[in-house]
Amino acid sequence: MIKTMSKKRELEWDRWVENAEKFPDKEAIIHWVAGEEPFRWTFSSILKAAESFAVGLKKNGVERGDVCAIIIRHNKYFYPIYLGISSIGAIPSVLAYPNPRLHPEKFTQGLEGMSNRSGLDWILTEKVIAEVIEPIILKEKSTIRGMFFPLEWGKNLKFEGKDLENIEQIRANIKDIDPVLLQHSSGTTGLQKPVLLSHKAVLDHVTNYGNAIKLNSEDRIISWLPLYHDMGLIAAFHLPLTFGIPVVQIDTFEWVMIPSLLLEAISKEKGTLTWLPNFAYNILAGKVHDDELEGISLDSMRMFINCSEPVRDKSHKMFYKRFKEYGVKPESLSACYAMAETTFAVTQTPTDKEAKVLYVQKQSIAKGVIELNGDDENSRTCVSSGKAIDGCEVRIVDEKGNDLPENYVGEITISSVSLFDGYRNYPEKTNAVLKDGWYYSGDYGFCLDGEYYIIGRKKDIIIVAGNNVYPEDVEDLVSHVEGVIPGRVVAFGEDDEDLGSEQISVIAETKILDETTQKKLKLEIIKAGMTEDINIKKVYLVPSRWLIKSSAGKPSRKANRERLVVKNETITWS
Amino acid sequence: MISEKFKKTILNELNLYDFDIQDDTTADQVPGWDSLNHINVILAVEKAFDVHFKGIEVLKCKNIGELQKLVNTKLDQK
Repeated sequence: MIKTMSKKRELEWDRWVENAEKFPDKEAIIHWVAGEEPFRWTFSSILKAAESFAVGLKKNGVERGDVCAIIIRHNKYFYPIYLGISSIGAIPSVLAYPNPRLHPEKFTQGLEGMSNRSGLDWILTEKVIAEVIEPIILKEKSTIRGMFFPLEWGKNLKFEGKDLENIEQIRANIKDIDPVLLQHSSGTTGLQKPVLLSHKAVLDHVTNYGNAIKLNSEDRIISWLPLYHDMGLIAAFHLPLTFGIPVVQIDTFEWVMIPSLLLEAISKEKGTLTWLPNFAYNILAGKVHDDELEGISLDSMRMFINCSEPVRDKSHKMFYKRFKEYGVKPESLSACYAMAETTFAVTQTPTDKEAKVLYVQKQSIAKGVIELNGDDENSRTCVSSGKAIDGCEVRIVDEKGNDLPENYVGEITISSVSLFDGYRNYPEKTNAVLKDGWYYSGDYGFCLDGEYYIIGRKKDIIIVAGNNVYPEDVEDLVSHVEGVIPGRVVAFGEDDEDLGSEQISVIAETKILDETTQKKLKLEIIKAGMTEDINIKKVYLVPSRWLIKSSAGKPSRKANRERLVVKNETITWS
Repeated sequence: MISEKFKKTILNELNLYDFDIQDDTTADQVPGWDSLNHINVILAVEKAFDVHFKGIEVLKCKNIGELQKLVNTKLDQK
């Protein structure tokens, strides 16, 4: 079992140093690249490299408290760069590398918005996108002071005694309540909400979460998760580094292209833990060829932890059916409820039992009081996300904020020792969700026998493969497409059973009647989404005045979605 | 050279009415061909041509023309 958090002032950096001293030759990060031999950082070698990068950062003017955005693709030096930033009291913030689909202008707009909101000081990136980023830095009011290319520093970095002394002096003055990282709650780039977390918050969290999953020295984490997402950054990066546990880091992009990479890494590296969004279970179970599974063994796995989008029992069943002969155990199928605002996890299912499944009468959910039923068409299957982990308290509340008893559906509110203090430079958003030390998640759920079940969302957020997409952003984009009646658009998530996730659908009003022109308009709408890296899967065109308005006078997402998706209403063009 | 069957397979999978696909077109330029739907496009191509790709072979394709060449090579090997 991992050690309990000590009461003394302790920084993440102290833990990394302690691990480098205790296990100098133990593998820390195994950097995985398809078709190549993995690169293996040990706990001592990664720290040494981090100190070299720290020297480089200091020489370039980075100071304690500066926010350093890292926009770098899967690269073995990413990790020591991150640690190097932290080692001098600066604040790393991992941002997504621009997808080629994203229009460069949209990327810069997003980065500029993020910079203004999060107060980015420095950009650490690759030379290849320097030209795109440079104009933002040159703007008069830009918070960004400069841009570096640390991957180019390579052998030029020399670590000298004097530099070490300077860095140690800085470190001695850092407090455990000082920030250690800045992560962003998911959403459209530029509109993401910045969450600043302290050393203490992260250390307390990984300790409490480590206890919940019975983390031990024999564990090995395997991950393809992006490190700009809290699940990747906290569960698959800070957690193992803090506790001296190896982690295999697979490139997200390569995993998408070759999903079997995860299974190969588990098999070769004897992985024990992995975190996956629900859609990954469907992809692994349904889209991997048998010949890619030759020689694969998954029996080392203690836990596959389903997190970051609604957990589906069907996905677990599919996954188990496909991989039981490769060693997957039913009790390894677990679930977790987490968010960036609480550092990461809020709840976790037990380590030795499969996530509990309930069949709940659909009508009872609508009434707000849960009644159990058999597994039939009148039931909705709900998968438990487990009990609150140590350091976290969960309440289910009604619309007025009053506590609701077990079995009642309400909003999930959380209090945690690792709760954020508020969104950085975003008081209006903070005030909307943080009240008297409780975070109002906007998720609906209920509690039964101490376990929490997440069943819906207060807002119409669309969760596509673990990423939150705000329908307002999609509607705004589509409204500007020529041929669409401005403001007469709704966007919503449509279930994709095959993928085990939601995909984005749009209903747009148009005056165009000609079928060929309508087909072209549909393509233009999808292309408009592409410019912001939003994939619109389905476009429904409807005539003018077709959309029903809500009581607020705006087209209703729920009512219009129901007409087309549930009731399959025929669209009549006159 | 992109064959009509190859192009149609991709467009059908992505529910696209029409889109110009050339040898140097990349997946990210095709509407709907994102990371989430990538695997479905590849499986659709495999099914249509009754061929089977290794993940690393697809990963090495820089554009759709190279994916077409991969299909052709697989068909020649049959």
